[in-house]
Amino acid sequence: MEDRLREAVAQSRADYTEARWEQVTRSRVAFQRDQLMALESGEEAGGIVRCLVRGAWGIAVFTDPKELPRKVEEATELARTAARHVADPVALAPVEPVEARWQGEVRRDFRGVPLEEKRRLAEGYNKLLLEHSPLIASTSVRYTDSWRTTIYANSEGTYVEQGIPDVTLMVAAVARRNGDIQQGFESLGYAAGFEAVLGKEEQALQAAQRAVDLLSATPVQGGTYTVILDPDLAGVFIHEAFGHICEADFLLKNAPLREVMRVGTRFAVEFLNVVDDGYRARERGNAPYDDEGVPRRKTYLIKDGVLSGLMHSRATAHKMGAEPTGNARAVSWEHEPIVRMRNTYIEPGTASLEEMLHGIERGLYACAAFGGQTMFEQFTFSAAWGHEIVNGKIGPMVRDVVLTGNVFHTLQNIEMIGTDFKLEGSAGGCGKGGQWPLPTTTGAPHVRVRNVTVGGR
Amino acid sequence: MDILGKAGQRAEAAELYEELREGVAVKFHGGEIESVGSVAVRGRALRVIAEGRLGFASTAGGTDAALVESALLAASHGDRAPFRFLGAGDGRGPSVPVLDPAVGKIAVEDLIVWGEDAVRRVREEFPELVVDASLERGTVDVSVRTTEGAERAERRSYLSMTVEAEQVRQGDIWSVYASRLVRRASDLDRDALLADLIRELRWGREIAPPPLGAPPVLFLPTGTPVLLLPLMVGLSGLAVFLGTSPLKGRLGETAFDERFSLIDDGTLPFAPRSRTFDDEGVPASKLPLVENGVVSSFYYDLRAAALANADPTGNGIKGNLLGGGGFRVPPGPASRNVVVAPGEGTVDDLIQEMGDGLIVAGVLGLGQGNIQSGAFSNNVGVGFAVKGGKVVGRVKNTMIAGNAYDVLKDGVRAIGGQAEWTFGALHVPPVLTTGVRVVAQ
Repeated sequence: MEDRLREAVAQSRADYTEARWEQVTRSRVAFQRDQLMALESGEEAGGIVRCLVRGAWGIAVFTDPKELPRKVEEATELARTAARHVADPVALAPVEPVEARWQGEVRRDFRGVPLEEKRRLAEGYNKLLLEHSPLIASTSVRYTDSWRTTIYANSEGTYVEQGIPDVTLMVAAVARRNGDIQQGFESLGYAAGFEAVLGKEEQALQAAQRAVDLLSATPVQGGTYTVILDPDLAGVFIHEAFGHICEADFLLKNAPLREVMRVGTRFAVEFLNVVDDGYRARERGNAPYDDEGVPRRKTYLIKDGVLSGLMHSRATAHKMGAEPTGNARAVSWEHEPIVRMRNTYIEPGTASLEEMLHGIERGLYACAAFGGQTMFEQFTFSAAWGHEIVNGKIGPMVRDVVLTGNVFHTLQNIEMIGTDFKLEGSAGGCGKGGQWPLPTTTGAPHVRVRNVTVGGR
Repeated sequence: MDILGKAGQRAEAAELYEELREGVAVKFHGGEIESVGSVAVRGRALRVIAEGRLGFASTAGGTDAALVESALLAASHGDRAPFRFLGAGDGRGPSVPVLDPAVGKIAVEDLIVWGEDAVRRVREEFPELVVDASLERGTVDVSVRTTEGAERAERRSYLSMTVEAEQVRQGDIWSVYASRLVRRASDLDRDALLADLIRELRWGREIAPPPLGAPPVLFLPTGTPVLLLPLMVGLSGLAVFLGTSPLKGRLGETAFDERFSLIDDGTLPFAPRSRTFDDEGVPASKLPLVENGVVSSFYYDLRAAALANADPTGNGIKGNLLGGGGFRVPPGPASRNVVVAPGEGTVDDLIQEMGDGLIVAGVLGLGQGNIQSGAFSNNVGVGFAVKGGKVVGRVKNTMIAGNAYDVLKDGVRAIGGQAEWTFGALHVPPVLTTGVRVVAQ
């Protein structure tokens, strides 16, 4: 396929052409209660061609490799059709052509692990959950692995081949008492081998116990609180609330938003530093090059409270006079690369958890994340569980904790940042523009924020 | 020998699902065309029952032999199959119209012109807005065949259009969108789509403080997934069987307001999730789930039906209301078109009736939380304050919270008379409720 790809992009008559072919080997095991709901392994392959003609993109997605030369022509033709309607043409920031081959490193390659062993692993965790308490009504345990081999070539002479391992585990328990149903879960994901999902019995038991505990927790009372976010949730916060608006494709054809997001603007308290780190070995979704063949780099999004950089593709970098940061990512061969995060985190600060708790008369300690969503300045994210904080002490458990706010206000309302730090890759993924679930990681220390709106009854 | 034959030689039974997606999509960004793309994706999935055990595998591009081996390998470590694949003697059901040849004739150039037209019309009234849009059209060929003699195939067309308008001012950013998904070209009412969008933009010109506490809350069709999503999770026969549904053991009980009726209908001509057969070949049906507040049925795929000793309902679908799916996912119980019976009155009537209250047109964080219990707590992404029966402006930093089961039982004040398609496959009228808590900064 390497030769076909190189030849196809070389022969293209478009202004710029790139082609990506992917081969994915994957397996999956899923239990729900006592039912084996999925047990499978297999392979798939597919490709995408992207051509630029007079500032407009033409794209073709296909599964038949023999079609590649015809797909280049088709994408060129589609780009031509679009180009007739373009007044503000797209152009690409220059990058050095590269030739690279890279394979993720794993201790125990899951492609060599028998399906039976994967089943036994999931079944073992499932059994732990089921036997934990008579209140556990059901469970959900899911193991997945995939090895995504992408080969990429463009008409500027870049050729990149990458083999990206991905392994995830999700364990969830559903506890039920009378009509009430509560859920506890743990989820993890790494660019690693089978070793990464072994020995997680402790987490499984914690998930089961949390489901049971939540039956006795009261729904949080809605209102405005001083909140301490645990590292998991603070990581999701920075990803959702701030990370997404630093993805420069949102700004590409949006002049007023470019004005708001001008580098050099003070957005946050001066002790806040936020990073999107391009490549961290073994972390979920990590590989040295993005899906435009650009090396990934570390970008400070906020340095000392000031917006200091954005995440770019080649097109957004050109438009905004910046350098490409290697953030153009596609979730699969069915999609074109768009600007996405990688490892996004808040750098550690100076406060201990005790110091953070001190002086809070009535607040919330919000832990772990169900998920989150953002709409420009508005963000929301739901904690898996929480605790009241009463007179500086962590108090009773509360549930249905969903936080919301305006990111620009919230970043100014950060009061303290902890010394601890945790980077987390979950079994889920990030969604944007119909591309989901993209593996990313988020990280943070404990963070204390005042004036956070919490929904509730 | 074809792949079913090969699989049939080594297993008691096999089922082959094949899918071919072909289409084009145009994307507008900042009021201007950015890309045009085509897809031609062929995927296959094979299920086998070998020595009584179920195995599944899928592929795009892979060989027949590899697919058969993968499915057999899975079966060799699998569990006993609680159900059988569809056979020659199983009912076919009536043919549901889902293909409009006119959709295939829509040129890329047409889609671009429709997008440009939408941009122009939004900007005529709101020149400062940034407008994004996407339009797609295509076909999906689906076939399901089994070694037991079942053979089903059909081509389904689709056409979709989404327009989003963003207002960006220092210290105040918001956006609204409107979307349509149809199978028949003549069903795409671009005027109505733009009218929805422009109505919300007009309502949102001013910012207004939200009513707090427990005011009347009017869910527009686009806001109703907050209430309906938990319900559709709870009405799944599998969730009931597993014990994760609050509706377990409540068949025949009045669990909702008696004005509330809900049908899961796979047979509506040209509706977004209509189909002649589901992804296991079972005929699509029209299935009343809630009738006048009474829980009347749950929905099932082959497996859940067998486990629960119920009849399959034609709900074995790859991918749920929230999306996902496709050939690489095994079928599971999922809803088709979710149709809520309309009541009376226009949106304006309901707004007048509520006096002071909140309109919810869209939320952030849908489905994120303990959805099984019915609990919801969402940021009101697009919402409007109502005072004295009139919309006074849009709200900011506002959250709603409640429990969908409670709201639909004791909190239904009125159900509007005009149902609209929203969220892909919900056909639902506006619902005026009480008992939803509203907090704001």
